[in-house]
Amino acid sequence: MGMPIIEAEGLSKNYRVFQKNPGLWGALRGLVRREYKEVKAVDQVSFSIEPGEMVAFLGPNGAGKTTTLKMLAGLIYPSTGKAQVLGYIPWNRPDAFRRQFSLVMGQKNQLWWDLPASDSFQLHREIYSLDLAAFTKTLGELTELFGVKELTRQPVRELSLGERMKMELIASLLHQPRLLLLDEPTIGLDVVAQVTIQKCLREYNQQRGVTMLLTSHYMRDVEALCPRVLVITHGKLIYDGPLAGITEQFNRIKSLRLHFADEVAEQDLARYGQVDSVAGTVAELKVERARVAETLSALIDRFTIVDMSVQDPPLDHVIAQVFEEGHANHEPK
Amino acid sequence: MPIMSPSDAGALVLRDGPVVPSPLPATTITLSQIVRKYFRIFRSSLIERMVYRGDFLLGTLLRFLPMITTILLWQAVYKGSGKEELAGFTFQQMIAYLLLVHISRMFSSMPGLAVGIARDIRDGSLKKYLVQPLHMLGYLTAYRMAHKVAYISMSCVPYAILFFLCRQFFGGFPDPAVFLGYVISLLLAFFVGFYFEACIGMIGFWFLEVTSFLYVINTLNFFISGQMFPIDLLPGVWPTLLKLLPFQYLAYFPALVFLGKIQGMALIQGLLAELAWALILVVLANVLYRLGLRRYSAFGG
Amino acid sequence: MIAIRRYLRLMGAFGRYCLVNELAFRGNFIAKILVEVLWLAILLLFYDTIFSRTTVVADWSKAEYLVFVGCYYALEGIIETFFLENCSEFSELIRTGELDFLLLKPIDEQFLITCRRVDWSTAPKIPTGGLIILWGLSQLNKEWDTTTVLAFALMSVCAIAMAYSFLLVLTSAGVWMVRNQSLMELWWLVTSLMRYPKEIYDGTWAWLIGRFFTYVLPLLLVINMPAQVLAKALDWKLIGLTLAVTLILLFGSRKFFLLALKSYRSASS
Repeated sequence: MGMPIIEAEGLSKNYRVFQKNPGLWGALRGLVRREYKEVKAVDQVSFSIEPGEMVAFLGPNGAGKTTTLKMLAGLIYPSTGKAQVLGYIPWNRPDAFRRQFSLVMGQKNQLWWDLPASDSFQLHREIYSLDLAAFTKTLGELTELFGVKELTRQPVRELSLGERMKMELIASLLHQPRLLLLDEPTIGLDVVAQVTIQKCLREYNQQRGVTMLLTSHYMRDVEALCPRVLVITHGKLIYDGPLAGITEQFNRIKSLRLHFADEVAEQDLARYGQVDSVAGTVAELKVERARVAETLSALIDRFTIVDMSVQDPPLDHVIAQVFEEGHANHEPK
Repeated sequence: MPIMSPSDAGALVLRDGPVVPSPLPATTITLSQIVRKYFRIFRSSLIERMVYRGDFLLGTLLRFLPMITTILLWQAVYKGSGKEELAGFTFQQMIAYLLLVHISRMFSSMPGLAVGIARDIRDGSLKKYLVQPLHMLGYLTAYRMAHKVAYISMSCVPYAILFFLCRQFFGGFPDPAVFLGYVISLLLAFFVGFYFEACIGMIGFWFLEVTSFLYVINTLNFFISGQMFPIDLLPGVWPTLLKLLPFQYLAYFPALVFLGKIQGMALIQGLLAELAWALILVVLANVLYRLGLRRYSAFGG
Repeated sequence: MIAIRRYLRLMGAFGRYCLVNELAFRGNFIAKILVEVLWLAILLLFYDTIFSRTTVVADWSKAEYLVFVGCYYALEGIIETFFLENCSEFSELIRTGELDFLLLKPIDEQFLITCRRVDWSTAPKIPTGGLIILWGLSQLNKEWDTTTVLAFALMSVCAIAMAYSFLLVLTSAGVWMVRNQSLMELWWLVTSLMRYPKEIYDGTWAWLIGRFFTYVLPLLLVINMPAQVLAKALDWKLIGLTLAVTLILLFGSRKFFLLALKSYRSASS
């Protein structure tokens, strides 16, 4: 085991958000005096990660995952708290620290737009002062792994989103970092690209023992890659443990979206599941997965349904349900 | 060497505001709707300018400091020359001229107009004018006019302060007849400036790249319209030649009218010539538009 | 030593890639150069028109002023080629969050942010400015000695360093100012002050402003010093002052820049 590669203790980050007053009079007042309120983006987050682990930060949008990740990368100063990454204090950003990790952000480009990826890679080599032989070997292995050997000579702007992401990942691994930080890496990608990237990352972790930390609000990413999950919501860490402990909870509930022929009222539907919303002829309700089939057939018997869909409920709902409110599931009567 | 100010950079730096808005839905447009819409534009651009308060204060400061160096430079030139007048301008008149040119440009500069037209042609948004009961040039003129009103009213206070501080350079207010001529020359300058840039925008029907051409034209324009110094300062036949072109009306001519250097018959002749140029450019723009549309439909959108 | 070689190599790489990029859009490149040529023509025409009416402007004769113009043009070329585009992009980098990527690299941030791109279309201004200087000098009958040339070289380096420092301060302020437009306008303001000899302030109502911009905010020393050294006499006091001011500005602007980054990193999310 040895030393943890990341240790965070009581990390917190507060922001002042300036309030804009509406209208002309407000704008004039704003010229003279400004009002603000304090927002706690990250609140006393503590955890430690061993080398070689693959860990996910899971949580709804705006929960504080990206902020925490950026603090570990040294991009943001925490308001309070301590952290050690690779043996360094990240926000001091020593050169040696920066050489040993990488940060990749979904839908954000760091490659040169008009040039082929191979040129960006060469530039990368210059910036990190990589030995030519080692660099060429690493590059060859990576392009092989991600399956993009023929695409490196094409200008980056001509590549698809998935291909671009692969190039970004290759660039981030060229200097053989010990730690890879990923912020929403598969966001906006089609399923095929997602799966390929997940596979490549998993292989790379197994071959090299590179520690990977990724943030996501998709369960699928997490299930494919990370045995361990940290759930963050409203800036607080509410769960730190094996994925298996919560997949059951997360997968237990499904969201039904129903389009009826006639208008329905909330009371009519309450017996079938937890009603999220009713608007005219459209309703959304939450049902236990095991009961989806029987609930649907009961509804079809009782009502005329024009359209329906069964989906995973939004993450915030599930987290709220599973952790904060601790509701027992609705038993259909 | 006074280089052009950001507001003169035309397509290079957009200061006047947005280029072309999405037009109104396809219903008949009443006058009150137009008035209300433009009042909203005016009010929201006022708020917008105030929200970026640093920007607002900065804009005010920006108009003043360079004038100091301009005044000092010309002071040094006049002192070095040992003469009272250069090309018929005293030192005071020279500074007054350079200040007045700013006013002329407020009316005649059209940042983003040509670029906007060319872009609409290139990316196909031109179609919206063809489908709806809207004449593109008419619509753009109305929009530009409203925006100019907003811009000019907003700039009133800073300019008034500037002119007040520099009042020693002005020989006094021109008499009512001349002032009327001045106002007319400014209004006509709007049309000359607008339709000239519109013509350039129309080139987008035949050529893909208008921006480069526009840069070149704007650069030349800066010089030939008299923004750097009065055209009369040039040697030989150049002043006469340049005064045959419409560009003098964009900066030089109105300034001279205000200074009282063009009086009586000459003033009326000058205004008529300006009117003639405005009409020529209006016709040219419309002709180019029609020709361009024919080509556009022939090639599909 | 190794560090300097590394940065030079990087600079070379940046320059190469930018050139390749620029040449890919050939039409645009040529148009940009054409516009520069036009501007130069206008600049020289203005200069010529003025000097057709007078023989001296604020103690600068026609030939001496030409040297001044050449110095200004060359400096403008250097700033626009190496630094201006990068600095004007800074606000955009902050807005899109791409600045974070630059902060992650094991390279000095100031170098990355200010030197990333090279704008080759303005590079011809540098040798052109040099030619204008030589043309002006050819009309002056001056004695040549190594001291003058060395002093000129020193003052030129100081001029570039001072202009760079001013630009850096303005750029750093972009962390706090939301709109990028303001930066470019402020820079235009700075250059509009730099482009005339400081002597135009002497003996006028604005003499205090002249002193301010010479000794407090030494914008007026930037072009004046190299041009003066070359075309007029060597004023060792002013040379010493310029040198001292340059060092202070370089140091101070870097500190301000690091402060701005620190503030960015406290406030970003």
